[in-house]
Amino acid sequence: MAIAKVAVIGAGVMGAGIAAQVANAGLPVVLLDIVPGGAAAAVERMLRADPAPFMRRAAARLVTPGDLATGLPLLADCDWIIEAIIEKPEAKRALYAQLAGIRKPGSIVSSNTSTIPLAALLEGEGAALAPDFLITHFFNPPRYMRLLEIVRGPATRPEAAAEIGAFADRMLGKTVIDCHDRPGFIANRIGGQWMQSAINHAFAMGLTVEEADAAMGPPIGVPKTGVFGLLDLVGIDLMPHVAASMKATLPATDAYVQGMREQPLIARMIAEGRTGRKGKGGFYTRERGPGGESLRRCIDLASGAYRETQKPQLESLALRDLKAFVAHPDRAGRYTRAVLLDTLGYAAALVPEIADTVADVDAAMRLGYNWKYGPFELIDRLGPGWLAKALTEAGRPVPPLLAMAGARPFYRTAEGTLEFLGTDGAYHPVPRPEGVLLLADVKRRGPALARNASASLWDLGDGVACLEFHSKMNALDPGTLEMLGKAVALGRKGGFKALVIYNEGEQFSVGANLGLALFAANIAAWGEVEGMVEQGQKAMLALRAAPFPSVGAPSGMALGGGCEILLHCTAIQAHAESYIGLVEAGVGLIPGWGGGTAMLHRWADASRTPRGPMPPVAKAFEMISTAQVAKSAFEAQEMLILRPGDGITFNRDRLLADAKAKALSLVENYRPPESKTLRLPGASGRAALQMAVAQQAAMGRVTAHDAVVCAHLAEALTGGTHDQTEEVGDAELHALERAQFMALLKTPATLARIEHMLETGRPLRN
Amino acid sequence: MPIYAAPLRDMRFVLNELAGTAALRALPGCEELGPDLIDPVLEGAATFCTEVLLPLNQSGDSEGCTLANGAVRTPQGFREAYDGFRAGGWTALAADPQWGGQGLPKSLGALVEEMICSANLAFGMYPGLSHGAYMAIAKHGSADQQALYLPKLASGEWSGTMCLTEPQCGTDLGLIRTRAAPEPDGSFRITGGKIFISAGEHDLAENIIHLVLAKLPDAPPGTRGISLFVVPKFLPTAAGRPGARNAVTCTGLEHKMGIKASATCAMAFDGATGWLVGRPHRGLAAMFTMMNEARLGVGVQGLGIAEVAYQNAVAYARDRLQGRGLDGAAAPDKPADPILVHPDIRRMLLTMRAMTEGCRALAALVAQAHDVGQRHPDAAARQAADDYVQLMTPIIKALFTDTGWEAAGLGMQVWGGHGYIRDNGMEQFARDARITQIYEGTNGIQALDLVGRKLGTHAGRYLRSFFHPALAFIEAQSEVPAMEPFLLPLSKAFGRLQQVTAEVARRGLSDPFEAGAAASDYLRLFGLTALAFAWARMAEIALRQGPEPEGFYKAKLATARFFMQRILPETSSLAAKCLAGGETLREMDAALF
Repeated sequence: MAIAKVAVIGAGVMGAGIAAQVANAGLPVVLLDIVPGGAAAAVERMLRADPAPFMRRAAARLVTPGDLATGLPLLADCDWIIEAIIEKPEAKRALYAQLAGIRKPGSIVSSNTSTIPLAALLEGEGAALAPDFLITHFFNPPRYMRLLEIVRGPATRPEAAAEIGAFADRMLGKTVIDCHDRPGFIANRIGGQWMQSAINHAFAMGLTVEEADAAMGPPIGVPKTGVFGLLDLVGIDLMPHVAASMKATLPATDAYVQGMREQPLIARMIAEGRTGRKGKGGFYTRERGPGGESLRRCIDLASGAYRETQKPQLESLALRDLKAFVAHPDRAGRYTRAVLLDTLGYAAALVPEIADTVADVDAAMRLGYNWKYGPFELIDRLGPGWLAKALTEAGRPVPPLLAMAGARPFYRTAEGTLEFLGTDGAYHPVPRPEGVLLLADVKRRGPALARNASASLWDLGDGVACLEFHSKMNALDPGTLEMLGKAVALGRKGGFKALVIYNEGEQFSVGANLGLALFAANIAAWGEVEGMVEQGQKAMLALRAAPFPSVGAPSGMALGGGCEILLHCTAIQAHAESYIGLVEAGVGLIPGWGGGTAMLHRWADASRTPRGPMPPVAKAFEMISTAQVAKSAFEAQEMLILRPGDGITFNRDRLLADAKAKALSLVENYRPPESKTLRLPGASGRAALQMAVAQQAAMGRVTAHDAVVCAHLAEALTGGTHDQTEEVGDAELHALERAQFMALLKTPATLARIEHMLETGRPLRN
Repeated sequence: MPIYAAPLRDMRFVLNELAGTAALRALPGCEELGPDLIDPVLEGAATFCTEVLLPLNQSGDSEGCTLANGAVRTPQGFREAYDGFRAGGWTALAADPQWGGQGLPKSLGALVEEMICSANLAFGMYPGLSHGAYMAIAKHGSADQQALYLPKLASGEWSGTMCLTEPQCGTDLGLIRTRAAPEPDGSFRITGGKIFISAGEHDLAENIIHLVLAKLPDAPPGTRGISLFVVPKFLPTAAGRPGARNAVTCTGLEHKMGIKASATCAMAFDGATGWLVGRPHRGLAAMFTMMNEARLGVGVQGLGIAEVAYQNAVAYARDRLQGRGLDGAAAPDKPADPILVHPDIRRMLLTMRAMTEGCRALAALVAQAHDVGQRHPDAAARQAADDYVQLMTPIIKALFTDTGWEAAGLGMQVWGGHGYIRDNGMEQFARDARITQIYEGTNGIQALDLVGRKLGTHAGRYLRSFFHPALAFIEAQSEVPAMEPFLLPLSKAFGRLQQVTAEVARRGLSDPFEAGAAASDYLRLFGLTALAFAWARMAEIALRQGPEPEGFYKAKLATARFFMQRILPETSSLAAKCLAGGETLREMDAALF
């Protein structure tokens, strides 16, 4: 049975967020709450929230809110009913009993519980629900966190679990991990124990909050919130709840339970409402300084008083090598060694108790806690033998799995395939579901077709090549353009049939390397800069005119030049979580690689655009002058960055396979698009745009330099000296773009914007 | 005895015509800056330097300083000269009127400094160090410290020192061992030894105020653990008079190659009483804020030596009769022609002159930017000016002091064998000049500062302050036919500098050794290009003048052409050296040296 309609009961943060993600996938969803009007209010709240749970506003219309008291009949035609109510078994069981007469036969019921074992949820339930029941544990926020933990009961129908798994994977974009029915499942069991250990050792060893977070952050592959910053984020009051639940369900001998310590300071903070970002501050807080400025303050773990934040000054924190870090004798080194000994030793003892494989555990920690490395990957970086020896020296037992591994790593690459060490003592390939293609796997199999410091070209098989960026933040530089040129040349010679532009960095590309451009501008190397702009324009046109199809496959940010590359591909296959836009105005520039011209064509070609030379110009101007960024692939569709025929993939791991399939679908009888001309409004259009800008300026929405940028943008988009009686080609429009770009780059205000962006990461409003 | 006449005409030119005083008059405190103020200062300084300081230069060199029973005696006449210097108000020239100073801008002060350095470099060390101590306390001292010390330093009653160097550390101040132990009354006991302390002990002033870098007991390792202390020779009484003798003594005088009349002391601090200046552990940062000014000051020392060497070389070349001119006898009535007729003598003289006048022009431009950076009411204007000062500081320090040394050498060469004879005074210029390339950060360190700090900061923003105005000038003048002889060479050098800058920055980003390998040649390339820009601007001004009897502008244009044709081409070889990379510096095994 295909899932065509979904229901979520409980419109708290999790329930509402899950409903939104179902709506994002394009399915109708019923959202019920016990509080009258609560579900409708939750939808309203989500429309205002940032980061947004909805990928587009229209998705909210797919959510039917209702009250639990009256709305149960709405569930009659739902194929999947997700329970996300209060974490009380009796309340949940009472709800399940109510569903019995209403839900349609064969529909699936799941609980989003994070702590209650499945057996307890079904206690006293008749045999009717058990085959259709499972636990689906989403992570907060449900749109953005990619992990879904699934727990099946002994009676759960295998097809039911498979169906939910497939739906969550393909439609909701989740990586589905099968967990055993153990408290906290995988991620919260290990993550909770890690936080507990990191907090207790920080108190015991006398680290400052900043030192503990610096140690528990990037050096071990954890986000820079570290541990105390993470507590502030999730809510400090959550800790005692989790601890109580673990204590109630785990044996008293479990290391998690044994490691529990009451920290009086934390108890006091919770009592005083200092529960983190949602409360009156937490370990970190913000205070108004004497001049009204916002000062970041930090709690002193010993005294409980707030003080100025201090940048940690410990030698070990500068070490890149994890082994050297944990061997360093300073506070941070000893601390990290102690925490990792606890956490990695604990994780090694939990397979196969909580999961079948170490690969599942690692995936859960990467996706559920945003760790760069799962615990077994961390063990490999330290060496399984090192960990076993360190545990023995500390007088602790060596978990059987670790003993079995001996000196062997938990992962290896054999004949180009990534393998993990199974509980049977043998290596097995890390499973990749059907339709999942990872560039990381491709790269294990053999060398690149071509490579430089900024980009590489890979063979994906079936005649498809992949252009990968790999500079810092995938900023585009002459090396990137050189590799793009090489790709086009190779394709022209028949080296491949189709090209995919894709990478597995966090961002597809943040745009042109501004540091290079600013340095060149500072030494007045205008010829060089203009040459770089022209080289980019030529590369874009060559990509578009190539005799083979190209598919841009972004995930994360595709800004500025990154967006312009997409605009010159034959088609786009975007990850749903793509943030695309021409943001050059933010740094006082306009798109220089044909982005403006490409947007004019997109709007001129679209059937929904009114006729005449002005509407496409107005649309492109609005988008570029405000540096608008699509907050999802769907918003990119609305902005016409994605065109009809372009695709959206929800699951990050499926993006490359989808893009490759799209590329192959375009190969047969492929003809590059004819280069078209445009009729542009010229001076009269410019006047109209200027008037609109003047109006905005009168309302104080446009800064002095915004107005300058708008004027140059208007010049480029309206066709310069041409008017609507003339057909203008891309070559001329590119020359116009280039001239306006260069003129802006020579203004001190633009240089100040670029410098500010490079140094602070934020735009300067000058 | 060497001669010296302050080059007042050229000084007025760079101040009034090249840099222009209009911009200065727009600055708070400089509104009155006109000929009525400028001329008496310049002329008074010129007179004092020629009549008082110059006659003591050679005698001070041969006599040197002497140490007996911990007391240092300066050469004969220095005490009286210093008294006259104080009485003339020269110690207070740049000091704040609040502390009894005259508050004159750097643009004027730098010209006076140049005269002092030409006339008597060693003498200039004493007030120079005092001014450094004045600046340190003015910028970082407490209100009480300022009220106590600044009036005394401004009046020259008390003098100052900077105690940084120790036997084991010069460039790398993180290795400092001098300790400061806190006392219950808020003072500190300073213990340790310092060397190379200029003016550390002498008989010119009634008290000596040492500014000492030392480490507090809880100091973090390295340069972030150094604090600055003020340690007076005599502890001031409540009335601000020199009181009890402090436990700081001069234990030795260095025997040096040059500036012999400047007392270079080894100092012992044996639990001397001192007070913290500024924040704990931030002493080096405090020193850094004065570093620019100190380095510009040393650059001016090089300029001063170059000027005086040039004047004496010209005088000799006019007088000395040897051989006949290659294109005919110039003085047929005499047994031989003056050597001024010979092309190689002219080459040397013009090289000295072109470099000296170019440096003076550049110094004036940077001094003006310094004044704008310090005094302009608008933050953006201050920043733009300060960017330029930051960028040019290492260039001025290294290029000018190299120029001083080279000019002193050329001066001796013009004099032939007589230049090598002590009594003639030419070799003293060379000996005095040599230290300027070494102290206040060796010229190698200046080059590293340029490529390591100044190039990359704010993605190259400092560079903008040179490249943009230079290109704007080139573009604006490109249609002026008379400017062609100056503009073409300038454009060429400018293009080379652009190319090499981009390349050095690019390579240095991934490999700091490469940046270090190019640094010294890059600094000179930048410096010569900056001089070319200054020369082109001077030529542009000279071209606009009508006929004049003294031939000043005619000489400017001739010197400008010489610079463009006979000096600037060096940038071609410098660029080639920069681009050659550092491989040959790296590959030689240490054992093979």
